[in-house]
Amino acid sequence: MQKTTVVVIGGGATGVGILRDLCMRGVDAILLEQQDLAYGTSSRYHGLLHSGGRYAVKDAEAGKECIEENTILRKIGRHCVEQTEGFFARTHLDDEAFEGKWVEACAKVGIPTIPISVEEALRLEPNLSPKIKSVYRVPDAAIDGFRMVWQNVASARKYGGRVLTYTTVIGIEQSNNQVVGIKVRNTLTGEVSDIACDFIVSAAGSWAGEIAALAGINVNVQPDRGTLIAFNHRITSRIVNRLRPASDGDIFVPHGSITILGTTSASVNKPDDTVPNAKEVVELLNIGEALFEDIRSYRMLRAFAGTRPLYSADPNATGRGASRGFVTLDHAHDGLKGFVSVVGGKFTTYRLMAEKVTDLVCGYLNVKTPCRTAVENLVEDTSPALMAKARLYFPAYGAELAASRLGSEGLEKVIARIQEKPEKRQLLCECENVTMAEVEEAAADSTSYMISDVRRKTRMGMGTCQGAFCTFRSVGAVDANGLSWGKDTNVLFKEFLQGRWKGIRPILWGNVMREMELTRGIYEGTLNINGAIDNEGI
Amino acid sequence: MKKHHNNPDSCTACTVCIANCPVTAATRKFRGPKMVGPTLERMRLSQDDIEPSLEYCSNCKNCDMSCPSGVPISTLNMLARAKYFKNRKRSLRDWILSHGEKMAKLSAATPGMANFGMKMSRGILKKIGISDKAPLPAYASKSFIKLFKNLKQTSYPDKVVFYPGCFINYNDPQVGMDFVAVMQANKLEVIVEEGFVCCGSPLVVNGFLDEAEENAKQNVQILKKWTDKGYPVITCCTSCGLMLKQEYQELFHIEGVAEYAKQLYDADEFLLDLHDQGRLNTNFGTLNEKYMYHAPCHLRAQGMGLPGVELLALIPGLDVQDADAGCCGISGNYGFKDDKYDISMEIGSGLFKAIKDSGRDTVVSECGTCRLQIGHGANVKTLHPLTLVRKSYEAYHK
Amino acid sequence: MREYDIVVIGGGLAGLMAAAAATKRGKKVTLLSLGSGTLTIGGGIVDVMGYLEGGIPAATPSAGLLQVGDGHPYKKIGRPAIEESIRFFKEICEQEGYSYIGNLDKTQWIPTAAGTLKPTCLVPKTMDTTELKKADKVTVLGFDALKDFYPSLIAKNFKKIPAFAQKEYEVVMVDPKLSEGRDVTALDVARWLDTEEGLASCIEKMRNVIDSGSVVIIPPVLGTRPDYAVKEKLEKALGCHFVETASVPPSITGLRLRTMLVRYLKKNGVRIVEQAIVAKSIVEDGKCVAVITEGVDRERTYHAKSFILANGGFYGGGLLAEPGKVIEPIFNLPVEAPTDHELWANYSLFSSEAQPFAKLGLDVDEKMRPLDADGKVLLNNVFVAGRNLRGYDFSFEKSGNGVAIASGYQAAMSV
Ligand SMILES: Cc1cc2nc3c(=O)[nH]c(=O)nc-3n(C[C@H](O)[C@H](O)[C@H](O)COP(=O)(O)OP(=O)(O)OC[C@H]3O[C@@H](n4cnc5c(N)ncnc54)[C@H](O)[C@@H]3O)c2cc1C
Ligand SMILES: Cc1cc2nc3c(=O)[nH]c(=O)nc-3n(C[C@H](O)[C@H](O)[C@H](O)COP(=O)(O)OP(=O)(O)OC[C@H]3O[C@@H](n4cnc5c(N)ncnc54)[C@H](O)[C@@H]3O)c2cc1C
Ligand code: SF4
Ligand code: SF4
Repeated sequence: MQKTTVVVIGGGATGVGILRDLCMRGVDAILLEQQDLAYGTSSRYHGLLHSGGRYAVKDAEAGKECIEENTILRKIGRHCVEQTEGFFARTHLDDEAFEGKWVEACAKVGIPTIPISVEEALRLEPNLSPKIKSVYRVPDAAIDGFRMVWQNVASARKYGGRVLTYTTVIGIEQSNNQVVGIKVRNTLTGEVSDIACDFIVSAAGSWAGEIAALAGINVNVQPDRGTLIAFNHRITSRIVNRLRPASDGDIFVPHGSITILGTTSASVNKPDDTVPNAKEVVELLNIGEALFEDIRSYRMLRAFAGTRPLYSADPNATGRGASRGFVTLDHAHDGLKGFVSVVGGKFTTYRLMAEKVTDLVCGYLNVKTPCRTAVENLVEDTSPALMAKARLYFPAYGAELAASRLGSEGLEKVIARIQEKPEKRQLLCECENVTMAEVEEAAADSTSYMISDVRRKTRMGMGTCQGAFCTFRSVGAVDANGLSWGKDTNVLFKEFLQGRWKGIRPILWGNVMREMELTRGIYEGTLNINGAIDNEGI
Repeated sequence: MKKHHNNPDSCTACTVCIANCPVTAATRKFRGPKMVGPTLERMRLSQDDIEPSLEYCSNCKNCDMSCPSGVPISTLNMLARAKYFKNRKRSLRDWILSHGEKMAKLSAATPGMANFGMKMSRGILKKIGISDKAPLPAYASKSFIKLFKNLKQTSYPDKVVFYPGCFINYNDPQVGMDFVAVMQANKLEVIVEEGFVCCGSPLVVNGFLDEAEENAKQNVQILKKWTDKGYPVITCCTSCGLMLKQEYQELFHIEGVAEYAKQLYDADEFLLDLHDQGRLNTNFGTLNEKYMYHAPCHLRAQGMGLPGVELLALIPGLDVQDADAGCCGISGNYGFKDDKYDISMEIGSGLFKAIKDSGRDTVVSECGTCRLQIGHGANVKTLHPLTLVRKSYEAYHK
Repeated sequence: MREYDIVVIGGGLAGLMAAAAATKRGKKVTLLSLGSGTLTIGGGIVDVMGYLEGGIPAATPSAGLLQVGDGHPYKKIGRPAIEESIRFFKEICEQEGYSYIGNLDKTQWIPTAAGTLKPTCLVPKTMDTTELKKADKVTVLGFDALKDFYPSLIAKNFKKIPAFAQKEYEVVMVDPKLSEGRDVTALDVARWLDTEEGLASCIEKMRNVIDSGSVVIIPPVLGTRPDYAVKEKLEKALGCHFVETASVPPSITGLRLRTMLVRYLKKNGVRIVEQAIVAKSIVEDGKCVAVITEGVDRERTYHAKSFILANGGFYGGGLLAEPGKVIEPIFNLPVEAPTDHELWANYSLFSSEAQPFAKLGLDVDEKMRPLDADGKVLLNNVFVAGRNLRGYDFSFEKSGNGVAIASGYQAAMSV
């Protein structure tokens, strides 16, 4: 039986943040995630590193937390953050009176807002609607959820942290009102086992209620689904927020090669009710039109949805009415020692949440080491020499991207693969500029079990063609590398393409429909990965 | 989608353009239209970097013609190239090749330097990167404008404006003269405006986009002035035509192009339209001659079919066979460059072979630089279709 | 006024076949085409009918034809015309020196690059599987650096197909020395084999890894030209049998077929206008008088006695999908589609059911003339062919090029 001091449940931003903090303070810890890292809300979100502007009016405290964490993450997480800055733009449809209130509220919590002329805004962002009325610059930034999660894990591992993916928590073992261990099931094989521990931290986001229930404790987390649309190119190079009281569909966030518009808000019963539908998409487009007039002429890549873990002591508050702040629940108060849940919050504040929880746990464990997550960078900067070397091996526009995904160590490994076999510099995913070497490296990682896991690590399959070409190549590469999980290639094909399909189905019109006809033409029409084979006839 | 919205969105990564790009077929150094065009465009919007193989695109537009999605691939390439050169030094070679008009004026003004293609030693040109094998055009002793000024036209109430373009003006004025004769035979008077400047096509392919835009502004103003009066404007050069009506719209934001483009004609198409209206002078004399025909890529890209072939089919006795063997490889001044010469000849090799196999010794084609390249690569004589039309009219009166 | 007998809109396989059949009947044809169609993407393998609803393999293409439902284009066209169209297609191929093998009475199961088999009807000789079926030992040959072909994937998966499981598989590689420069596709390898030197060097390299008498599965690289010169030279030099697989785009087999058909049409006097974007039509009294193209410069009008609408489906541009509706942009013909977009597609991408959206398209009568919701002919001289027809999911049933050929032919014969 494995043993550890603390088990952290949940491989989202909050969980990995806690793991890192614990390990940096010298506490032995294991993180358990039922699927792959960042499977939950931490990758199904907008990716806005809030300046706090969105919350300043309604929730000054949240606004303040945001601007403080924003400042910290820009520094310690600079390889996950794109310092795009943001606009708050009031459209012709929005209440002018709110503008003054907003400026004042931002000033109060220390969020800098710089007014600029509409002409200047249009010069900087030519796709913005010329009908907008006023614009302010704020220090918003874009943050990559996958990368942030991975880099926290990489850092935690350096301090001895362990991570088990595809490991579902199915029971909390207690003895005399004290946690003694945890029961888990291997999500892929179904095998059940136990891990002995002294402490459990549930950072299961929208699933926190379900985890608490395993110990017979009630935690009121209401999953609130938000749907987002990813567009094929960078229609704006800055984040654009609508200057009005927070509502649906009013933020555009550029991420690398794409732009994300969101979001909706609707209570759902299940945390993994993340299948978006066409109606939500059409609504978002209707609203988004106020900021970007030509929105319908921009190609969508996919729609996706995540569930916000909205916590409320009051079971009746829902949606945007419920608090987006976070709470740390010490279940000692519910009669079980050694069990803490952290619920609510935002991606932007994950580090702060982790710090608060870790303080609490360390208090119990009598660990006095102070928190250093706000001052120590997640990963070291890639040296200029290594970058220069990388540029020799990666194609144009590829080296920086690969470096920010891989970190120095990973980058060295990928370069070594290319040095050994120069043809591995070829792009397996042409849309997102991912080399065969990088995909092979990611596929060989011990946390990869299917092509989607490789996708999350590399961004392969997340660009224009949405897997039309790279699916075939990645399955071929996994097979050629003799990886143990590559046995049944038809399963690999279907798993990956079905995953892409989930996001395509709700936007199946225009160029997306065309791309789908092509994709089906390849995998169903030509490669026949689905068809029964008539042995009699052959 | 907005008609001339240059974004990469409708590309489905289908690879068709790769199969149809002549440069891709000729060299593995070029990463191909899809990659360099729409795919990297998404990257260009988010990152600063350069794709070195962008320089291989010749702007021949075969990619655009094959694309099932209407992606303006070549234009994306040209815009990216311009962006690349925005803050970079240019080579003397590229400057010379893209400023043919300035060079021509210079040589006319500086006796002793009368013909840079001839007098400036090919050795010197080679040193700056212009191939010593390429078929550089020679300057005519008198420009078209000069010849035209001395020409007495019969005046008719119906008039057309002629945009000669640099090649006809400085290198091959006879085509312009043939054009005027053909118009006169159709009771049309030709107006040539001296204010016209180079269409900018050679500037664009070498990344001098700002200068091209200056030229465009000047041309647009003049073109608009005449078409507003109801005069059609006619070109005999397919690359000029494509530039004036299409690329101006894709590359620049100048008011008025869409309006005048409605009345901007390729000479062959203009004559066919006259024919459709029953107004074409069909007093064609018999020409018992055999020719090959080559369709310039920049004509095919204009969506009007092959008007030259249809026009020549009206001439009794004439046997014109479409070589139908793709790009000739020259792409304006692409094939003049030392590092592109071999690629350019490789691209044209299929066409040269088809011509040689046909046994015919003269090739008809609308584009001046295509004619140069074909003359060079297939060792044959070349003609503009209008030269044959004129000849046929003259034969009728003999 | 230049007037043609027939204007064909669209230069995909349906349009090319329609134009071919029309010239055969002595008609004067103009073909308005935009882009180069799905052939170079999808490929030159002619599927006719592989799977019935429920995913059950059809015993033979012709048996499959009899089992399709009422809305299916094959039902409209009828078996005799389908047979004739296939015969006509094979005749052109034969005549042009690039003959196809197969017939309606036999399903050909051909190897794919994913190591599956797929049922089809007509294939070029480079995909002849006669020897493959007989062989006890099969060589799967890959090319170094070719990123679109994984020979071990094929060898491994063939072992799982009962009828192929008994065979022995050997994977060998040949290095075409193409790793400098851009990424390598099948097109690069095929172009290498197009050249004399490339072919000679390839033969040298193959000699080292394959024995005389072998049956060799290779990616579709046996030259880009519509002839069998590369195949024949290789087979003669090495004493082997080569079998190309069905594979991902760019499709070499499709490129060959398209080159061949376009050449055939030009030889037969078809006027082909490239980059002709047909945007509108002029209709008078239930008859189309002309169609109008939209250029960056101006509109151009094409008059004809009859029109064949072969501008593809969603991919080609003949059908435009919007949330809850489908538009046919040129004649504004009605397309029945669920207004609730959720009903357009199955939750599973792959299943034993066809995808509803893939079956959306135009309804026609047996002459391929467009119908309204009540089954009334809308335009007397317009005939529809190809993927824009409703009632079939070509990917699911494996019938794309078959429908294109049969409906293109039928349209031209109905004029
Ligand atoms: C649409 C949307 C947009 C958003 N946009 C922003 C934004 O722009 N900026 C911002 O700051 N915040 C944003 N948020 C909020 C933010 O995404 C979340 O607050 C944050 O990602 C939550 O992270 P987490 O780690 O707490 O939860 P999660 O990322 O959901 O992680 C919980 C993990 O627990 C795992 N788990 C569950 N049950 C078990 C079990 N039994 N065993 C093992 N593992 C288990 C899950 O698989 C999951 O991976 C947005 C949220 C949504 C829904
Ligand atoms: C990836 C893929 C693989 C496939 N594999 C196979 C296979 O192995 N076997 C098989 O049998 N089938 C296959 N198919 C299906 C087959 O390719 C198609 O069903 C068939 O080719 C359709 O032909 P079409 O002529 O109707 O349409 P298209 O080939 O789409 O042609 C339509 C043409 O019309 C033009 N056009 C569109 N709008 C206009 C306009 N406004 N004006 C002028 N022209 C216009 C288009 O540009 C295009 O050239 C595959 C398809 C795909 C996408
Ligand atoms: S313009 Fe010509 S050379 Fe350039 S990418 Fe297109 S086809 Fe190739
Ligand atoms: S042909 Fe058009 S759609 Fe296809 S890859 Fe090239 S640009 Fe993209």
